Amino acid sequence: MAREASTIKTKYRLNKGDGAWAYAFIAVALVVYAMFTAYPVVSAFIISFQDYKPLGSSYVGLDNYVSVFQSSLFWKSMGNTVLYTVLTVPVALMLSFGVAILIMPLKKWMQTSFKAIYYLPAVASGVALSVVWLWIFDPLQSGILNQLVGVFGISNQNWLGASATSMFSLVLMSWLSSHGTSIIIYVAALLGIDSSYYEAADIDGASFLQKMWHIVLPCLKPTTLFLLVTGVIGSFQVFQNAYLMTGGGPDHSTTMVGLLIFDTAFKYFEFGNAAAQSLVLALVIAVMAFIQFKFLGKDVEY
Amino acid sequence: MGLYNTHLGNTMLRNVRNAVIIFLLLLFALATLFPIYFMFISSFGDPVEAGAVSYSLWPEKITLDSYKFFFDYSEYSYRWLGNSLLVATVTMASNVVFATMAGYAFAKIRFRGSKALFGVLLVAMMIPYQVTQVPLYILIVNVFNISNSYTALIAPSLVTVYNIFLAKQFMGSIPKEILESAKVEGCSQWQIFTRIVMPLSKTVMAVMAILTFMESWNTFFWPFLVTNTMDMQTIQVGLKNFRFANTTYFAPMMAGATVSALPMFILFFSLQRYFLEGVTVGAVKG
Amino acid sequence: MKKRSRFAATALALVVSAGVVSACGSNNDGGNAAAGNTGSEGAGAKKDTITALLPPVSANFQANFNQMEAEFTKQYPNLTLKIEPASWEDMTQKLDTQVNAGSPPDIAFMGSEGISKYVPLGMVMDIKDAATPEMIADFDEGPLKYMYNGDGLYGFPAYMEVHAIGGNKPFLEEAGIDWKKVQQNGWTFDEFREAIKKGVVKEGNTTKRYGFVFATAGVTSKDYLGILVKNAGMPAAFDKDLKYAYTSKNYLTLLTNIRQMIDDGSMPKELSSIDAGKRWNMFLTGQTMITGKGMAVFENSSRLNNEKIDKNDGSAVKDSIKTDYVVLPVPSFAGQPAVANSIVDGYVTFRGKKEPTAEHKANVAKAAYFLASGQVAATTNGELFSAPITKSSRKAAEGMESKQSPENKAAVEHLLSTAAPARPDIPAELGAKAIKLETEVIVPKLQALLAGETTPEKMYEDVKKAAIDTFGADGVVQD
Repeated sequence: MAREASTIKTKYRLNKGDGAWAYAFIAVALVVYAMFTAYPVVSAFIISFQDYKPLGSSYVGLDNYVSVFQSSLFWKSMGNTVLYTVLTVPVALMLSFGVAILIMPLKKWMQTSFKAIYYLPAVASGVALSVVWLWIFDPLQSGILNQLVGVFGISNQNWLGASATSMFSLVLMSWLSSHGTSIIIYVAALLGIDSSYYEAADIDGASFLQKMWHIVLPCLKPTTLFLLVTGVIGSFQVFQNAYLMTGGGPDHSTTMVGLLIFDTAFKYFEFGNAAAQSLVLALVIAVMAFIQFKFLGKDVEY
Repeated sequence: MGLYNTHLGNTMLRNVRNAVIIFLLLLFALATLFPIYFMFISSFGDPVEAGAVSYSLWPEKITLDSYKFFFDYSEYSYRWLGNSLLVATVTMASNVVFATMAGYAFAKIRFRGSKALFGVLLVAMMIPYQVTQVPLYILIVNVFNISNSYTALIAPSLVTVYNIFLAKQFMGSIPKEILESAKVEGCSQWQIFTRIVMPLSKTVMAVMAILTFMESWNTFFWPFLVTNTMDMQTIQVGLKNFRFANTTYFAPMMAGATVSALPMFILFFSLQRYFLEGVTVGAVKG
Repeated sequence: MKKRSRFAATALALVVSAGVVSACGSNNDGGNAAAGNTGSEGAGAKKDTITALLPPVSANFQANFNQMEAEFTKQYPNLTLKIEPASWEDMTQKLDTQVNAGSPPDIAFMGSEGISKYVPLGMVMDIKDAATPEMIADFDEGPLKYMYNGDGLYGFPAYMEVHAIGGNKPFLEEAGIDWKKVQQNGWTFDEFREAIKKGVVKEGNTTKRYGFVFATAGVTSKDYLGILVKNAGMPAAFDKDLKYAYTSKNYLTLLTNIRQMIDDGSMPKELSSIDAGKRWNMFLTGQTMITGKGMAVFENSSRLNNEKIDKNDGSAVKDSIKTDYVVLPVPSFAGQPAVANSIVDGYVTFRGKKEPTAEHKANVAKAAYFLASGQVAATTNGELFSAPITKSSRKAAEGMESKQSPENKAAVEHLLSTAAPARPDIPAELGAKAIKLETEVIVPKLQALLAGETTPEKMYEDVKKAAIDTFGADGVVQD
């Protein structure tokens, strides 16, 4: 702020009229957002105070929220979700960062091929993938993963069917599933780093690790922040894996909040309650995101 | 000149390094590619109805009958692909244009309420869709009365918050000196945007294009909700028609999945150039 | 600065809330417009459109949509039937979204047990008065009863089938099981337990063939318990006095028996993650003697694979052997009578936000009847190997030849005669509570029981405790 104080006058002159431009630039986005995102969210907010019925809802005050906070299952699933997020998101970031870095020194055609390879899984349909994963986690000796661990003398595991391994299995699936999106974003960001930084570092005789620490990591901070925030949001809302692979079991060991909300809304038809669960979840995510912005975003210029 | 030392001691050492890297990358690729491989080989199976999946690492039989079956299954098979192509292309184009504009405004223009607005945008990403889909459905189908139309398929994702966020994060790294000097020379914001920001953002726009296209192409649930007839279905919805109560036409489904993956692959390669070139801002800095 | 940003936020809030208000304002009109299938009330026109949300009930079902629509208009020139195709696993969610939005289709195909879910919302439409006596008389009484809830009739049934188990004939004979006798007389758990023990084939320490494998992965574990529990003296979740039944001692016996079959080695210890595709693969590859759940149509699937083995062109399921599917009844537990798990699916009728006119009701009834009877029903039933349940479709089916083996046909008929009666007397609120209890407590605990992480006694106590919390000590069976 202090740095900017001296130039504030010139700035003001130069920036005159920028506000109008800015609003013009975001106008379309705002309209689309207000209609198709904000309106449903506000509706969901209103519904969370209702006993929702399509033929006429009644207001029940904070009842839905009270029942969310009193539900031990909600907190258990919240715990599962946090565990899943902690185990998956950082690893996904490191893997895709690592791959992006490793791709860089290769010849151009190899870069292209590898990016294409890693991008491939992202284009396959979820249904096709879940069939394959069920095969990998096949509990009998013939299962792929069981054959693999059998080589190391480990007896065959009931991967998805036992509390001890079910969460790990979902996490493993996430580790080995597509990182195509993050890899593409990281590679793009790496290429965006101006080569003059490296040239300067080379003149100073900086090592690979020094360049990594002083140039690459700081320059990739905005990208990492983006991937982290969107990754955490996605992970907190994860639903499909648990739904397709374990149904939340056994004994709720893989019940995530996303699955619980789905059940509440579509199995029990307690739509008001589901809306309340969603908003509590959103609040938790917002707090997490806020912490990430504070932690990672403090020296990033906006 | 790059992150890696090109003039590393001797060529021998460099080759060893690259060999190790390639080995690691291949190992990881093997793990992530396996499901795709399975999808691909399964698509060459016979188009027969069976309750059981053939768990086999190698194709027992290679035939293109399943592809034929897929296209003959419904008179709309080609149309599903066309619908998806149309929806994904429009969504992609509008996202690239409008999200880039909005991202630039949020990243580089100081205006009243920018932080608050951006915060509000982000918060909306945090509400699970299970709950918002009903109000959205009411809006599109009951209020606007546009179910079973391309508008209904496209409108809700014309600009996504995800893309605005992505654009904003990338544009944060454009040096503000460039923009300020352009301003001093009398460029309007529009000129700055079209002549400086857009060319410098080619990479992120390409990234955005491909991610949006992929997202739109793969979306299942929304098109499923708002289409009422087979001729308006997208490929993802159409593929599900192969699943019956207790059996599935497994091979044709995999053939369809393979076919549906192709356009994205083509798009990926056509945009490949932008990913690999990088963007040089050095010229301006000179 | 702060003030301004607050202004901007307020402005946004205004924009947003304006959107809400306008949306809410027009909401009612919209709802009516969508529910405006209620027919134009114009004097003589009487044109009406009926929408139907239908999954691919059988393999060729969706291919016939155009033909069905045309047939219907031919029969009722003033009416149009508009069929919306949907995939099986996602159709419930689409329907539920439409129901929550207040604009469901007029007709949706679903399981009859789903009706109770929509009754409290008031979104299903009672067609008791709209259906003509001729329509009602066409249906067999048993299946039709499933479409009732309380006094209301909420659609017409499409078929009634039995979910039981099925064995591979050569293996059954190898184990010395008189399957023909079992098909007609059933078996007790003790007899069944001995039989599946004999079906096990071992090679050293590894089991090459199990006696019995049932798909219980994820949510399918619900089917497993649901099918068995009917044969343990609890044909429904509530007894005649509407007390919750799963707290009875028989329930504990059943849970104990479930564990015994795994501990005997007759069922795989990894049972808890075997899904429907896997266990059918195990059946076709000779890794199990008996499988579940079993439906009559599996006979067809088994035969198709045999044909592919004969062709020897690599198209058969890998490592599969020739199989001969035999329909078998589920054993009876705790000395209770065997009760077959009958499933009735049908065309359920819905209403929109606006009260439907009597005329529209009658039209919807006509459309539901059209789909559930005559030629349409005969075709569906034929493909599913299920017996027709209307007089008109029986007549229409006369010319069609069935590929079903006579023994299996007789076995299914016998099973149907022991089917659990419909329970329209269970109030929807009780039913909803039971579903929640099942999803949140019973299924997760059962998964743990199958995985060997809890004991039958512990699970029984957990279920009992949750049941008393839900229904009160007086609302559950205590014996």
